[in-house]
Amino acid sequence: MNSQHIFRDFDKAIDALRADVLLMASLTRQNLERAMCSLLERNIDLARAVIADDSDVDDLERKIDQSGMEILARFHPMASDLRLVVTSMKMAHNLERISDHAVNIAKRSKKICKSSVLEEVGLAEPLYSMADSILRDSLMAYTDANAELGQSLKARDKELDRLQKQMVSALSRRLEDSNGRSENLLHLIFIAGSIERIGDLAVNMGEDAFFLGEARDIRHESRKNLTLDPTEESADD
Amino acid sequence: MKHSSIAISNLDFSYGSSPALNDINLEIPAKSVTAFIGPSGCGKSTLLRCINRMNDEIPIAKITRGGIYLDGIDIHDSSVDVVKLRRDVGMVFQKSNPFPRSIYDNVAYGLRLQGSLPKSVLDQSIEEALRAAALWDEVKDRMNESAFGLSGGQQQRLCIARTIAVKPSIVLMDEPCSALDPIATAKVEELIWDLKAHYTIVIVTHNMQQASRVSDKTAFFYMGNLIEFSETSRIFSNPRVKKTEEYITGRFG
Repeated sequence: MNSQHIFRDFDKAIDALRADVLLMASLTRQNLERAMCSLLERNIDLARAVIADDSDVDDLERKIDQSGMEILARFHPMASDLRLVVTSMKMAHNLERISDHAVNIAKRSKKICKSSVLEEVGLAEPLYSMADSILRDSLMAYTDANAELGQSLKARDKELDRLQKQMVSALSRRLEDSNGRSENLLHLIFIAGSIERIGDLAVNMGEDAFFLGEARDIRHESRKNLTLDPTEESADD
Repeated sequence: MKHSSIAISNLDFSYGSSPALNDINLEIPAKSVTAFIGPSGCGKSTLLRCINRMNDEIPIAKITRGGIYLDGIDIHDSSVDVVKLRRDVGMVFQKSNPFPRSIYDNVAYGLRLQGSLPKSVLDQSIEEALRAAALWDEVKDRMNESAFGLSGGQQQRLCIARTIAVKPSIVLMDEPCSALDPIATAKVEELIWDLKAHYTIVIVTHNMQQASRVSDKTAFFYMGNLIEFSETSRIFSNPRVKKTEEYITGRFG
């Protein structure tokens, strides 16, 4: 809805809510980028900054929840406005969890950086690039209420899952003759897990953006389709 | 049409040379609550008053095309007795309008018009109507006191009791809560919810939260046209028509 609301206060409140979500998204992406830089460039200070700045993201999550509740209580939004408020609150929740994963990556990065160079960290770079591009597009889908873009992320997340499995399997093989590097290799496996979860959370946000644009809930649809698929049943038989 | 309690078909209505309703087609299901919403002057109250031919009292008002059918019977058919029609299609107005009589006499009024009834039968019917209107417990010990001694919310529920005492099949409500405080409004809304088990209710309201709370279906009118008619949950969460979305989200005019 681009036209103005009868209450200018409502437009102001909605604009502020949306701005806070975008600010939170920007801080979250920055935290994730710095966490990965600290890992790839062996920069402990960056990792410390990520851990310290996570509280800004937490504060924004609380602020967005509070603003959303106030809008619901004061203005009783309907239809697309209601979806925007609900979706914004859910976005904030997902972003907070992504920022937590960035903190997890930073904490493990700190530990890896304190040991000798681990060449395998480079394996995480393509994973991060893909997760960040899914995350970026989920935010664009929210900003533009672009249902098509929001829905398209699931397929890209499957590719991310495949890359993560590949990385974990490569690292697991190296664990066997790790020569004292096993702890750091395990940290790297957990980092790959965090990046994979970030992809999942970005997909959730894409699904929320689809709901915002189309007023239809597509969460868990692939699982439903799977159970309802008659060919699947006959295959089981 | 046979499944619908009220069927409005191709209805055009005018006040003199000014058209007020254009080609309205609407099927209102029985034993449910249907809300009419829309900005002032959109024709929602005019349409409500057409359903029990209240507009007959306005000399320049006339239906110029189409008709309204109650259970398949054209309400403008020459065989239709208007007094009986208005007994079958009761109405509750914006401002509560009890008669300057006792609480008992207010509810008994319509019943007495139907002919003399034994006192015990009358008492029983009045108690039933007051109970159905969720007012019995509050007035049972003061039945002979003036209805004007009741609060605004109680007076409106008394009017609802008076309406349902004659056992209509349809109850029309024209902004029944607009003069009530939130607690009295909540009581009337709860009552509407309970009454739909036995009556077909059509409610005109400017309060969209009220429409979304009490109705099963909602019709949105604009400038004499029916813009959208659908399940209330659909209208208020994902309307199909842009005009409806603009109205319910407050981006209008």
